Amino acid sequence: MRVRSFFLLLLLLAGEAPSIAQDPILRWGGDAEGGAPFMEANPEDPTKLVGFDVEVAELIALELGRTPRFVQVAFAQLDQSAIRGDFDLGLCGIEDTPARRSMVAASVPYYEFREVLTVRDADKDRFKSLADLRGRSIATLGGTIAYEVLLKAEGEHGITAVSYDDDVHPYSDLLLGRVDAVLLDNVLADRSMRRNSGLFTQPEAVDVGHYVVITAPANVELRDRVDEILRSAMRDGRLEAIFQKWNSWNDDQPGLYARVLAAASDVVAEHPAAARPSRAELTLQYLPSLFEAAFITLALSCLSMALAVSLGITIATGRVYGGNLTRAFLTGYVELMRGTPVLLQLFVIYYGLAAMVRLPAFAAALLGLGLNYAAYESEIYRSALEAVPRGQLEASRILGFSRMQVLRLIRGPQAFRLALAPMTNDFVALLKDSSLVSVLTVVELTKRTQIFAANIGSWVIPGVLCAALYLAMSLPLGHLARRLEMRWRAPSPS
Amino acid sequence: MSTAAPLETVLEVRGLRLNRGHRQVICGVDLEVRRSEMVALMGLSGSGKTTVLRAVAGLEAYGEGSIEVEKVGMVFQFHYLFEHLSALANVWLAPVHVLGVARPDAEARAQSLLDQVGVGHRAQAFPRELSGGEAQRVAIARALAVDPPLLLLDEPTASLDPARQNELGKALRELSGQGRTLLFTSHDDDFVRDYATRVVVLAEGRVVEEGEPRQVLTRPKHEATRQLLQVEPAKRRAKR
Repeated sequence: MRVRSFFLLLLLLAGEAPSIAQDPILRWGGDAEGGAPFMEANPEDPTKLVGFDVEVAELIALELGRTPRFVQVAFAQLDQSAIRGDFDLGLCGIEDTPARRSMVAASVPYYEFREVLTVRDADKDRFKSLADLRGRSIATLGGTIAYEVLLKAEGEHGITAVSYDDDVHPYSDLLLGRVDAVLLDNVLADRSMRRNSGLFTQPEAVDVGHYVVITAPANVELRDRVDEILRSAMRDGRLEAIFQKWNSWNDDQPGLYARVLAAASDVVAEHPAAARPSRAELTLQYLPSLFEAAFITLALSCLSMALAVSLGITIATGRVYGGNLTRAFLTGYVELMRGTPVLLQLFVIYYGLAAMVRLPAFAAALLGLGLNYAAYESEIYRSALEAVPRGQLEASRILGFSRMQVLRLIRGPQAFRLALAPMTNDFVALLKDSSLVSVLTVVELTKRTQIFAANIGSWVIPGVLCAALYLAMSLPLGHLARRLEMRWRAPSPS
Repeated sequence: MSTAAPLETVLEVRGLRLNRGHRQVICGVDLEVRRSEMVALMGLSGSGKTTVLRAVAGLEAYGEGSIEVEKVGMVFQFHYLFEHLSALANVWLAPVHVLGVARPDAEARAQSLLDQVGVGHRAQAFPRELSGGEAQRVAIARALAVDPPLLLLDEPTASLDPARQNELGKALRELSGQGRTLLFTSHDDDFVRDYATRVVVLAEGRVVEEGEPRQVLTRPKHEATRQLLQVEPAKRRAKR
């Protein structure tokens, strides 16, 4: 009975998909964090979105005779979300790439942009092209054409590509001197120039790209309808009006419209779609970079743990032996670090403190994780120190050991044995929490896997490889800890 | 041997008073121990004998009175050997770190102390691998390693069978023969009669009787001593 109702439920769920075509609601996905001119919350009514992508979506919905409804999706997950069927249409400054076209159905381009190089005012005469930036770091948004261009330039021009999860911090880090240039869409570059002073955008385009509307790969029918609607809006000037309104109209657009309307063929041909390597080939290509990322994860985790352990021991000792003031201060520290998200702490250390100390990303990640875990470690050591039997301390005192000697020779070593199991546990947790530092542009194992997955358009192989690498790091550690514990906890002959 | 004239005073306790909360548990104890003596502190549970021993060891803060003693070593009822160290390291740790003896010298001395108390063959064993009797011997060697003029033992016979008790008694007598001074608590009147040179009986935090063990334990003058002698054989029977 229960089994049958389960299948009924499955049928109902499965049945939802075909009904979408008749759905009066047109669900369209985008990332509201993208900001103006693409989309942003209306300053007058934050529950509503405004922007040129919002208006293009509304135009398409109107032509389809359906009501638009916005679905929030993280920018990096738009393709996967389209495949899953989270929305009917995706548009949010989505770039036209061969990789994307192999995963989802994409419309004709509706906007042409240039990848442009933005530098600090002082550098505008010496950093004019990628070639001028040999040995320097260039920032961009991860998973974009610009990022691909920079990765290629790493080999060609000896630059270092730095990937960000958003398009605001590349420019703020440029001003801070953490990077020496930013390569992004001219739309984003223009916006950052309006927001920040002291920046200069080079007029020559490094590359040219287009924004497209995406649909689920099987939904070619809807995609073709969108193509028709976009073409007619190009002909009658409605599309131009939208971009005029958002100050994004420029001389590049009429050319694009002419080509789209004339050829009706893929303008994307500029980026040859042919000879895309198979998934197996791509996986092999990605393996070295996955190993490298795993090494970064391991190095970061070990160093952070070393910091957490030494600081944790200091805090625990202070809390057990210190005076009232010391104890109150250290308790405050522990509560603050345990009571707030580590993600927030990472942001504060990397971006918040940037005006005072300009930490490199890896150092900030190490510091953030280390300071956070120190709070947890200190609690483990404190309770372990307090769990050492009083008799051990009395025996040491009578033998004449000083307090420091008791801590170093007797109490500490015994507490360490008690702390080992929870410490191992924390180290494994840290190994996984280290994936959070990708928000600080550190490309560790999870981030590399994400990039890999976006590139081959599947999470299956990258997910399995990534999990295997994490396990390869955490399992031996657990094994070692268990062996040590067994050795120390040999049964006594009764 | 028992007729030898007592030597210098090693421990002098005067008017010791000690409170636990509002309750006075030691109510004016006087006690003097001279070199080479083997003094037994006896009393029913709660009479205060362990508390006096701990106060002498410096583990109890006391309200009134004075305790004059140079340095003590202590063997706890539950030994409290350092769990993370071998028997040998338990013995050399304090000489090396407290007295500053060179490690090889301290190790050699530790081994000879373990040999002396009969557990030399267990030097590399960890406390959890030792039997109760072995652990006690190691604890004695550890206490002796810093050469305390006075050795305190809390209920040294409590966990030993009669044969082991005799071995311990002989070992302690040997130490006393070497000029060491011993103060121990005990419930066991047979052991005290056989090995102690003097017995001090405590009741409700006071010394109620003291003297030569055979005399005190054969013809007790105080009611508390009589009770002690009635309870003890019964307890031993119950244990078997």
